[in-house]
Amino acid sequence: MKKNFKGKVWKFGDCIDSGNIKGVMAGIDPEFHTKVQPGDVIVAGINFGMGSSSEDAPRSLRDAGIAAILAESISNIYLRTLINLGLPAIECPGVSSIVEEGHELEVDLESGRVRNLANGASRTFAPFSDHAIAILEKGGLIPYLKSSLANNREGT
Amino acid sequence: MGMTITEKICARAAGRDRVGPGDMIDGKIDKLYIKDLRFSKAEDPKGLYGLFKEILKEMGIHKAWDPDKVIINFDEQPARSTRRAEGQESAKQFSQEHGATIYEGYQGGIGHNVMVEKGHVRPGEFIVGADSHSCTYGALGCFATGIGFTETVGVLATGKIWLKVPPAIYIELAGKRPSWIWGKDIVLRIMAEFGANGAVNKTIEYGGSAVDDISIESRLSMCNMAVESLALNAVFPPDERAIEYVKQVSTATFTPVESDPDAEYESRLRFDLTDMEPFVAAPGVPSNGQPVHEFVGTKINQAFIGTCSNSRIEDLRVAAKILKGKTVHPGVRMIVTPASYGAYFQAREEGLLEIFEKSKALLTASECGICTRPSLATGEVCISSGNRNFPGRMGHRDAQIFLGSPATVAASALAGEIVDPREFLPI
Ligand code: SF4
Repeated sequence: MKKNFKGKVWKFGDCIDSGNIKGVMAGIDPEFHTKVQPGDVIVAGINFGMGSSSEDAPRSLRDAGIAAILAESISNIYLRTLINLGLPAIECPGVSSIVEEGHELEVDLESGRVRNLANGASRTFAPFSDHAIAILEKGGLIPYLKSSLANNREGT
Repeated sequence: MGMTITEKICARAAGRDRVGPGDMIDGKIDKLYIKDLRFSKAEDPKGLYGLFKEILKEMGIHKAWDPDKVIINFDEQPARSTRRAEGQESAKQFSQEHGATIYEGYQGGIGHNVMVEKGHVRPGEFIVGADSHSCTYGALGCFATGIGFTETVGVLATGKIWLKVPPAIYIELAGKRPSWIWGKDIVLRIMAEFGANGAVNKTIEYGGSAVDDISIESRLSMCNMAVESLALNAVFPPDERAIEYVKQVSTATFTPVESDPDAEYESRLRFDLTDMEPFVAAPGVPSNGQPVHEFVGTKINQAFIGTCSNSRIEDLRVAAKILKGKTVHPGVRMIVTPASYGAYFQAREEGLLEIFEKSKALLTASECGICTRPSLATGEVCISSGNRNFPGRMGHRDAQIFLGSPATVAASALAGEIVDPREFLPI
């Protein structure tokens, strides 16, 4: 995972629950999986990923090669799951108001900044913690655990 | 500066004296709940146990972190797909090889209720569950939140999760609760006030003079809905009622924690329950709530009392009270799915099951049932005591799901349309 990257935007609305995200947003657009390209980013409104904690929805986005999800707000379980799967999920208030579908966004995880390369508009978000970046860099929680479990484990 | 209940529990779990909103912690887990579904190969081709074994092998470790703290429940009984059956088999294997408590058959029901009734949830604990409604347990004064599949594997290996300590919203419940108002009415009203985005990734802490009078069942229902406000967790103070309840179901010791008087809340809201009307949420999202009179007259095809949100004994009692001696409207399928076999047997002892049968409500085994299993055709309308009314949640995307208290559901089942349950309550 890169800490700084660019990607083409696909834009979605508010309150999209994980049932409708399943199968790469199939509940909203059954053809989306044929349009989206690896490295693209999703921009959504409030409450992205609300609902079930089932992981097939976030996995389908990761497996489609989506580089990041940026939304006004993201359900906690969904946000954690995406990061634990190695896909940056970013809560960024105002992001949906600065982009249109097809624009290119530049995202910097460490400084917490997103910039629309089409019109220069930018927004900020809470920079990722070292822990979250470490998990993302390893490609998710499972590979992260495999590489660091020995140090992590306390004498149980 | 004081701390909230959630901050205190997070601090203890992280081995620190104090934490505040925004702090990143590695919290030690007191209890891990896993729904049988997570063991099926639905989410990962290797399955939960397969992935876990892979980690162990790679690390040269032989055992799960602390199997005594792992509780598994079969939420679908009997399994309705080969994949689910194999998941349940894999859960049993995991339990045999690593140890873990499994509830199935007449011991089980819906996992969240089983967790509470079997005494696995105690004040002051730091609990996670591999299901989004694990936030339900906060009703008993603990920190409890849902985690995903991958993170569950992580907890099995390390006994910890990473977490950003959430800011807190304090909700004061004031006034006198009318006897026809339950937790579901109150929480639908609060959620409507929040709007769809009001509590995202925050803690909701309940308090105020009206709390005393709110039953444990109603508190469970209110905390159950926390995830629908996108809160991380919700918590009631561990008052006498909560402690009494826990002592009845568990002999283990526990350490309740209260918020400090000078604890810091990001915001405070006050709800007076005195003149409250029953609340119903319109289809779409659970925060679409309005007083019931806004929906009166809406024709329904299905009425459902079930789910981890509302089908406990208090709910079955009130539904039976309304249905007693009457018959469900001929145009309505009414389905009653008790929250657990504990509630099911209790209801039988009290003669409630017979009332359901005679009123022509369809009684089912205790499980998640039609909460997620499709039962609604295109254009059908359902009123449900459940927690989710998203498009497609219970069947066709064009079916409509209204949410209300078990009283509203039962009364509407008799009328064939949404009604104000107060007109049907023989009180
Ligand atoms: S009853 Fe419904 S919401 Fe509750 S755990 Fe089962 S499927 Fe989930």
